[in-house]
Amino acid sequence: MHYSESWLREWVNPDLTLKEFSKLLTKIGLEVEGYENHILDIAIPPNRGDCLSMQGIAREIAAVLHIPLKKHIIPSHPAAIEDVLPIHVRSHKQAPCYIGRIIRNINRHAVTPAWLQERLEACGLNCIHPIVDIVNYVMLELGQPMHAFDLNSIHREIQVRLSKSGEVIILLDGSQKTLDNQTTVIADATKLLAIAGVMGGADSGVTSQTTDIVLESAYFPPADIARARQQYRLQSESATRFERGVDPTIQQVAIERVTTLIVEIAQGEPGPLINRTHKTAITRKKQVTLTQKHLEKVTGICFKNKDVDSIFKSLHFEYQSMRHGWRVTIPPYRFDLSLPEDLIEEIIRFYGLDQLPVQVLKGVLTVIPNTASIGTMSRATGDWHILRQLLSDQGYSEIISYSFVEKTLQLALNPNQTSFELSNPMTAEMSVMRTNLWPGLIQSLLYNLNRQQNHICLFEIGTVFFNEDRSSLAEHPRLAGLIAGSCFEEQWGLQTRDVDFYDIKGHVEALLRHYNVLDQCSFIAETHAALHPGQAAGIYYLNQLIGKVGALHPALLLDLKVTDPVFVFELDLKLLQAIPIKLSAISSFPTIRRDLAILIRETVPTKEIQDTIQLAAGDLLKSVFVFDVYQGTGVPVGQKSIAFALILQHGARTLVDAEVASTMERTVALLEKTFGATLRNG
Amino acid sequence: MQLETLLQQAEHAIKSTTSIQDLEQCRVEYLGKKGSLTEIIKTIGQLPPDERKLAGQNINLAKENIEQWIKEKSILLKNNQLKQQLEKETIDITLPGRDTGCGSIHPVTQSIEDLQRIFEQMGFISLEGPEIEDDEHNFTRLNTPPFHPARAMQDTFYFPNGLLLRTQTSAVQIRAMKYMQPPLRMISIGRVYRRDFDLTHTPMFHQIEVLVIDEDATLATLKHLLTQVLQAFFAREVTIQFRPSYFPFTEPSLEVDIGCIACNGRGTVCRVCKQTGFVEVLGCGMVHPHVLKMADVDTKRYRGFAVGAGIDRLTMLKYGILDLRSLFENDVRFLKQF
Repeated sequence: MHYSESWLREWVNPDLTLKEFSKLLTKIGLEVEGYENHILDIAIPPNRGDCLSMQGIAREIAAVLHIPLKKHIIPSHPAAIEDVLPIHVRSHKQAPCYIGRIIRNINRHAVTPAWLQERLEACGLNCIHPIVDIVNYVMLELGQPMHAFDLNSIHREIQVRLSKSGEVIILLDGSQKTLDNQTTVIADATKLLAIAGVMGGADSGVTSQTTDIVLESAYFPPADIARARQQYRLQSESATRFERGVDPTIQQVAIERVTTLIVEIAQGEPGPLINRTHKTAITRKKQVTLTQKHLEKVTGICFKNKDVDSIFKSLHFEYQSMRHGWRVTIPPYRFDLSLPEDLIEEIIRFYGLDQLPVQVLKGVLTVIPNTASIGTMSRATGDWHILRQLLSDQGYSEIISYSFVEKTLQLALNPNQTSFELSNPMTAEMSVMRTNLWPGLIQSLLYNLNRQQNHICLFEIGTVFFNEDRSSLAEHPRLAGLIAGSCFEEQWGLQTRDVDFYDIKGHVEALLRHYNVLDQCSFIAETHAALHPGQAAGIYYLNQLIGKVGALHPALLLDLKVTDPVFVFELDLKLLQAIPIKLSAISSFPTIRRDLAILIRETVPTKEIQDTIQLAAGDLLKSVFVFDVYQGTGVPVGQKSIAFALILQHGARTLVDAEVASTMERTVALLEKTFGATLRNG
Repeated sequence: MQLETLLQQAEHAIKSTTSIQDLEQCRVEYLGKKGSLTEIIKTIGQLPPDERKLAGQNINLAKENIEQWIKEKSILLKNNQLKQQLEKETIDITLPGRDTGCGSIHPVTQSIEDLQRIFEQMGFISLEGPEIEDDEHNFTRLNTPPFHPARAMQDTFYFPNGLLLRTQTSAVQIRAMKYMQPPLRMISIGRVYRRDFDLTHTPMFHQIEVLVIDEDATLATLKHLLTQVLQAFFAREVTIQFRPSYFPFTEPSLEVDIGCIACNGRGTVCRVCKQTGFVEVLGCGMVHPHVLKMADVDTKRYRGFAVGAGIDRLTMLKYGILDLRSLFENDVRFLKQF
């Protein structure tokens, strides 16, 4: 809120510059965000409704400087006319205090004086109509929101009551609201006049033709106003104050102040006050007890009684000193104080936080058992650091992208998973929760392609959101990567080439190798809507799908206007992490390598050939790897030459030539039988 | 041939060779089985017995001489040869090395890992909670019941089923207090979301939540902890200033400023602290008694303090990054600097 310097100085005028004012206020928790042109911009915390007025801020300044607040005598205005209006407050719980007053014969041609205009505008309010301006002025000055109705629009009486379900009102801002049955409203005998404390109706407000008005100065409980404001999505200066709490003892002073100003500025003849205040309905004065011990336990120091006394005094708190503490009567305007902790905050706020001591936190050395999850929480793991390092070493840059993405892109990248859609997204590009990490990677790819980067290698570790089964929501940590463009940066010493499937597959295999699970994992050709049907694989650990790898579908690339192939992978870290490390014994006996080059139909997957070799060679086969794949001169069309190295070893003794030879023979025979493969000569 | 002449010839021949091969030929020529010197040795037998000894000695001497010359020449030639090889093999070491690519770890991740390490050193457990939260954990149990004005402080993303994207990692402290017994020291780091997008706000950012529930959790111990952590994180002396503030889930609530990292608190023309010399880094406070009671913590015995800090902001301060959005644009030219 903005505060006018000259206005504040009418309440408290120490010999301080505006800058010093602002430092002082910031120090006591009323953060000054700007102090230019004799205007203070203060961020008032939501619990400090009492500070939303000149009087309120002045009170704080006076307290911190230990100086008195200037007295403003507001006389009660004698009635010039006798006119009254019946006011019925149906439930005093909804309006413990309600004061009205009729003022007749207001000068229609009166204008808001310049000094008042200036102050309103300094505080960020527009000038609307002299009566409205005066009401707003007093609100800014004292903190009491009030309302002026055009008397001629009111039929017979004023009722303060709960709304009936389905009642409709058109408000001052032009919006039409259909009410529930829990809203406090101001009505007359036939229609609604206002949503109490929030906003007046369009038909009952003052206009340039208005000569007779009814003023309303009331206290409405914060919770009711907060509910109504949120229920009907309204925003008003009045509601802001009521929902934070308005001093329930100032309604009469405020209405008198408004009356004085109206008479001064727009003439008019005030009637008597119509006071419907229900004394017992107003909250009794709160008392809070604070013990010395409590104060010490929270702050870490033992305060001197006189220091605390002096702070309470400067805040105008009535208190009784007791043997071990204080019993404090909370002023009616301090809605934020109801617990001893609240008083402690007041004490340290004025004592100075920088004066508090610094002490070392003591504790027992304990180790929390290394369980993966505690209740609905999971333990953060350092494991991912290694994955990050591994990928970074392979040239990947880590990105962080938004968890909400564009719906169509997400759907294109993962059509089988329904994504959670936000009710109130920021933009359409951020409307659904990601079900995989590819949208963010692709966005980053496009961003970097547009900036002439032609060697792109990105990864992200983050949460994806999906329905695990019909009802339950799952959040899984995933790791995904994307590569595109050249394999290396262009340079003299390395023949660069475009990346392909086997680059990214190699990176994935390296990750799986880190978990020592590569041997138990298989890449199975699978179709996926977002991936090239001929270059896509599901990554399986035993029979469990733990990830995917492949080339993005050319049709998708066309949509994205990307000309080069793009390769992506994704791994579910939750599943990957759950896989136990499996060790096998290392044999100390020598290994024997035998190479095997065969001619085979080009469509036979390497994995199948390897499985067949494994089957034929049996336990002696320690490992097998491909060291050459060739098609071209010398190889019949439709066939490929593929060369395997078989590493044979016995766990308990040295192999003999004969068993190596027979193993190889068996292998060749089975390959021939299964695939019609032939040994390649030479 | 006379020994003298032979020696002269040999010395000349050896010294004028230019290659190892020539030298080897010389050796064969003079010392080999059919070499000149060998021929002379064969003549010793024809000499009278009293001359034989002297002749033998002379021949031996000559042989040693020749061997010495060959050896010296050999070393010389080998050295020359090595020198030539080295010259031939000399390359332009100013050409860049082969670049197989080196990636990078995101600066925010690095901050997260730093903070995690700092707190784990002090015996804190690091926990993660869900990002899609319910109203209960994100607001109500944090002393922000429905219609509380503080809800307006954070514009929240909602789902049609009433769930929401957590606006603060504080939601995890509620879960921590539920599943773990005090004394408790935990941190939780993760993504949080608020409907806000401008120069200094992105709709998603990262927070760290720190919670201590203990008998001696006081403002004084909170001050000490924060000082330690901030100095460890920024790896330097840090001036710290506390201001009263308001959060619904702490009472008293404080805000913490540190002397500006960019201008060393001097406050001269500085885009980071805008000439104030201080920058706001986090909020904290004593856990509100309502929060503790709702979590069934024995408030007679224990108190708690909590800290919430924006990691993105800490990262920006640490590296002098001026635009928050650059953290999430993922420009590789930016990322590769970390």
